Amino acid sequence: MRKNDINAYIFVPDSITTIGLKYLLREYFEIDAITINQPLDNDSFCDSSQMYLIITTSQLFASNLDFFIPRRSRTIILSEENSDDTFIINIHCDESTIIDKIERIIASINIPTESMRQSSLTQREIDVLRLIAKGYINKEIAEKLNISFNTVLSHRKNITTKLGIKSASGLGFYAIMNGYISESDLTNSLA
Amino acid sequence: MALIQVHSKMSDVITSTPDIIPVINRFGILLGTGDKTITEICASHNLDPEFLLCIINTYINEEYFPERALKSFCASTIISYLEKTYKSYQLFQLPNIERHFEFLIGRSGNNNNLGLMKRFFDELKTELMSRIHNDITTWFPCVRNMESGLSQENVDVDCSTNIIDKLNDLKHMFILHLSGEYEPNLCYGVIAAIISLEKDIRQNDRIRNRILLPLYKSLAQPN
Repeated sequence: MRKNDINAYIFVPDSITTIGLKYLLREYFEIDAITINQPLDNDSFCDSSQMYLIITTSQLFASNLDFFIPRRSRTIILSEENSDDTFIINIHCDESTIIDKIERIIASINIPTESMRQSSLTQREIDVLRLIAKGYINKEIAEKLNISFNTVLSHRKNITTKLGIKSASGLGFYAIMNGYISESDLTNSLA
Repeated sequence: MALIQVHSKMSDVITSTPDIIPVINRFGILLGTGDKTITEICASHNLDPEFLLCIINTYINEEYFPERALKSFCASTIISYLEKTYKSYQLFQLPNIERHFEFLIGRSGNNNNLGLMKRFFDELKTELMSRIHNDITTWFPCVRNMESGLSQENVDVDCSTNIIDKLNDLKHMFILHLSGEYEPNLCYGVIAAIISLEKDIRQNDRIRNRILLPLYKSLAQPN
């Protein structure tokens, strides 16, 4: 099963709860949660993808309002009481209720962006793919296409995400299979 | 999955995780285990039960890695296991994939994609064989000599993830991108064999890179 694309951070004071949450996220949602042990601040926490959630307690939420208020729609609060709020989970609920609630929260966060939904390569990505397949390195690809090195890296990352193929030679064989380059191009690049 | 214990029955382990069979075969343990426990099997095969347990638990639980326990074994014990693993790749797992691949290509009409994927497999096989050759002829003898107190020149060790990446790529070429005519059952045989090898190498790379490599480095730079 493909891993969930969401990053999860657990910021709770006790280990047993942390272990239990990590287990639930791993077992039911394929998410490897990260434990946070120190107070959070806006400078050190960086998750620009917006594909994240934080789990914390009501006490820690209250004592870190500056951090949590801007991230309210990504924060699950563990509480001692029932609540109609989607993002508040009563820690005394049974396991299936907790799982259902986490599932709904993840569904609300895990809305694929347009670029993620589009599985076929863009024309620019095809240009980059052709050059990778012909054996050019990132720096050379940047020069040939007149784009920055970081843009090449970004295209490569998107190509790998869309195709599930990471190695240059794997991309080379994929490019032949789909008619983006000829077999002689690949032979030359391997030579 | 729950950790296997010394008193666990080997038959229960195999029934719940059949892909452990090639791993226990490397220790000389064959099927027909009856109701013997791990301890009893180890006694009859002259094996260290603690080491066998570490290997089995590491293999069946991807999240579990008993780093401290594994580091307590001497380097030659780890090397001996890795050598058996490499032998298994060379004698059984790689030829198995090749055999399935050839049957698949032969029974799938004019599917050029399968031929290209076989070439990609040949490339990664060459890379794997090269790493095995370097480990067996250069690195392992060097570590063994160092462990025996003999001085040795340092050797370069390939710790890249290239082979695993390529096996993963090949798997995705089948699952995501295969087109044209092909024989489904034979195709399943190839994919199952690739996935099995990928898992095996991934688990063994943890032992190779996280246990043997630090042991080697500590032997190379005492104190």
